[in-house]
Amino acid sequence: MTSFYELYRKFPKADCGYCGNASCVTALRKYFMGKFSLDECLYFKKQIYNKGDFTEKPTRKASPFPPGIRYISPCPSDSSMVTAEVSLNSSPDQIDYFDFITAEKIFGYNYGVMKISPTLGIARFEVDGKAVMAFSDGRVLVRRALDKKDAFWQLRTSIRRLWAAVN
Amino acid sequence: MLDVDSIRKDFPFIKNGRIYFDSTATSLTPDPVLNKMLEYYREYRSNVGRGIYKISQLATEEYENARKKVAGLINAKPNELVFLRNSSEGLNLVANGIGLRRGDEIVTTIQEHHSNFIIWLRAKERLGSDVKVVSCNKSGSFNLEDFDKSVTKKTKIVSVTHVSNVLGALTPIKEIAKIAHEKGSLIMVDAAQSVPHMKIDVRDLGVDFLAFSGHKMCGPTGAGGLYIKETLVENVEPLCIGGGTIDDVGVDYYKIKKGPAKFEAGTPPIAEAIGLGEAANYLSQIGMGNISDHEHRLAKMMLDGLLQIRGVRVHGPLSLENKTGIFSFNISGIDSHDVAMALDASSNIMVRSGHHCALPLMKEVLNERAGSVRASVYLYNTEEEVNTFLNALEEISKTLS
Repeated sequence: MTSFYELYRKFPKADCGYCGNASCVTALRKYFMGKFSLDECLYFKKQIYNKGDFTEKPTRKASPFPPGIRYISPCPSDSSMVTAEVSLNSSPDQIDYFDFITAEKIFGYNYGVMKISPTLGIARFEVDGKAVMAFSDGRVLVRRALDKKDAFWQLRTSIRRLWAAVN
Repeated sequence: MLDVDSIRKDFPFIKNGRIYFDSTATSLTPDPVLNKMLEYYREYRSNVGRGIYKISQLATEEYENARKKVAGLINAKPNELVFLRNSSEGLNLVANGIGLRRGDEIVTTIQEHHSNFIIWLRAKERLGSDVKVVSCNKSGSFNLEDFDKSVTKKTKIVSVTHVSNVLGALTPIKEIAKIAHEKGSLIMVDAAQSVPHMKIDVRDLGVDFLAFSGHKMCGPTGAGGLYIKETLVENVEPLCIGGGTIDDVGVDYYKIKKGPAKFEAGTPPIAEAIGLGEAANYLSQIGMGNISDHEHRLAKMMLDGLLQIRGVRVHGPLSLENKTGIFSFNISGIDSHDVAMALDASSNIMVRSGHHCALPLMKEVLNERAGSVRASVYLYNTEEEVNTFLNALEEISKTLS
């Protein structure tokens, strides 16, 4: 039986979003859970493994770039700093936007410690010393950013690191 | 005994699983108060103390009736009760109106809300008065001897909080008032956290001034009161003067009115005052004794629960002997704001986080410069809500800290 990592190696890891999943890891995770068919993947369908070889340009159904950031200034933690929050979830009924167990594994492997509570639907971690929280309804919040620009980049980095855990 | 299920139906805010544990900041407002305010706006919307027509007279009557109800709640006479926006305004009024001068001494405590602390630091800056700050221990208890040493013949005023908005600790007001009066000083009490939660009798306490916030006692925001002892009303200068505060005005003179009206310049917040009167009525009908008993039951549950959760540090008194239903705590390894956000996101529980406008206490006594989480109970909270809160907190402490 093909292991997760063997199959993942064959993916271009483009995270194109064509299949409706935010990332290739999410698609593979669902595949192993029996909720995704490789036929839904543009690359596997055409048996193309290189990013530049496809003839149809995939339409991204999900994006790791934060839309509509809400800035709160001053930050409640420190009046000289900024808090920024964004909601990635466009479906108000979806309350399991992130798979925190996957997030913890990936984050822990690459970036450091992530504390999670699947019961409460919350993850807590740090990016460049800034406290970040992610919630199961798809919100991501960073506190103690120096200014709006810093808050934007911390959010963007945080979202990229969480992207593989989007359901 | 309080019928909490029936009371909760009066509060339209309580719905969709919301759990409100931030009554220390501001309380919820029940329908009878909202209806009374809307009745003013819909039926007799006019200015008070000015017009001769029937509707204006009705508005004036309702405004003064509200004053009677609020004064009655604290056993004051109506001519001793000034309607203001909040406690802060009342405290500022007294600080600026008692004629402080260079060399006068002011005694206050380290537990004070900023509104009863920085006003005295400003008096020191502007007028050269001396400010003495009495400290407390980590449980929020004072040593009366410290007050006895600090208050001298030069002390003009002793200004203390009745209940700490951070620790929920009760200050021994009667004893401090006795010390103050023995040495010829005035005494002012910041009762923002006591009037809404327990029976207050200004005569029994023996205070000269008592400020409280209407919006913390089920009244609307923008409503508050200041009690000024009858014999002192004429000795206090108003903060603002203008329309409604005068008996007579000429080209080159003016004569200020007597009584609480001299402190209420311009058009007052009429609907708010009427709403506050209705709130006082609402609380009186339930009974302040019933309210404090209900809070005591919830406070016991909350304190016992908090002390059992690993990683939680509870600040202030660890028994309910001299404590109300205000709880400040920290969880090791997690910022107070993260705890508050986690409670809100996961369980719709609303608590306060930060320094609670009491930085001297947070920095010097509790050593929690980054702040703490604060949860407070009131008449509309239930045991079920306390249980949900404790369960969520335990999960946060176990997994996120």
